[in-house]
Amino acid sequence: MTAADKTTAPAVDPREAGTQLRPGLWHTINERYPGSMIRKESFVPQAHMVRPLQQARISLVSSCGAHRKADAPLDVCHPFGDFRFLRVPSTSRHDDLIIHQLKYPHDDADLDINVIFPIERLQELHEEGRIGSLTGNFFSFIGYNMDPARFEETVARGIAEAVVQEEKADCALLAPA
Amino acid sequence: MPTVSVTVARDVTEAVKVPRAVFVPWPMGHHFGVPFHRNLQRRIVLSALGLLETADEPGTILDLPIKWAEVRREAKVLTEQGQRL
Repeated sequence: MTAADKTTAPAVDPREAGTQLRPGLWHTINERYPGSMIRKESFVPQAHMVRPLQQARISLVSSCGAHRKADAPLDVCHPFGDFRFLRVPSTSRHDDLIIHQLKYPHDDADLDINVIFPIERLQELHEEGRIGSLTGNFFSFIGYNMDPARFEETVARGIAEAVVQEEKADCALLAPA
Repeated sequence: MPTVSVTVARDVTEAVKVPRAVFVPWPMGHHFGVPFHRNLQRRIVLSALGLLETADEPGTILDLPIKWAEVRREAKVLTEQGQRL
C-alpha cells in the first residue's frame, strides 16, 4: 500500500459534482512509477494560429495506442515502454483501427474509437467545412514509459518533426490517454 | 505550432504546463465521451479547436464540468434504444 491508497474519498461524489474523477493523479502515478512523471517549470512561448480553422490544416496526436489493424502493434509489455510511434492515415474508419494499450480502460473505445481518438468526428468537421484540411497521417504512441527524457528526445521530437515538416500542419489536437 | 490538449487529469496538465487545454471530469480513456454519442464527441472536439483561436495566455485550461453521471445516463439510453446521437 502506498500513501496514495490512503487518501480519503471526496465528500461529494465527483461523478455527480463534475470534478476530476481521480484527484491527485500526478502524485499517485509518480509514487507508483517513480520518475515517470514530469513537472515543467515554465511555459513554452505561446504559438498562435496563422489562419482561421476553416482554412487550417489539423493533425491529431494521441498516446492511446490506436493503429491500423494491418500494422504491428507497439510493445505494450516492455518494462520501460516503447519509444516509437505509429502513423494512422486520417482517412481511417473505426473498423480499420485497433487499440493496443494496457494502462487505461479502452473497452468503450473498442466499441467506438472516437471516444479517445476522434478521427471520424474530425473527418465530418472537415467535410462540413469547419476545418480546412486534415494531415494525411495522424499519430499514435504508447503513453506509458519510464524515461521521460528519452521519450522527449525520441517519440515527442519524432512526432513534432513529422507533424510540422512532413505533414505541414497548422495546429494539432492532442489526446493524452 | 499551436496545440490544444483534451485532458481528464487537470493536475497532470497543470504540472506539464501545456499551452492550452480542455478539461473534462471523466475517466481515463473517455476524453471525448462515450460510444456513439456523436453530439458529445463533437462538442469536445469543437471546444478544443475553438480554444486554438481564443486562448491568449499560456496555460489556459477551459473546464467543461459535464457530470460523468449525466454522460453515463445518456450512454445507457443510447445503448437501450440502439441509437446514436
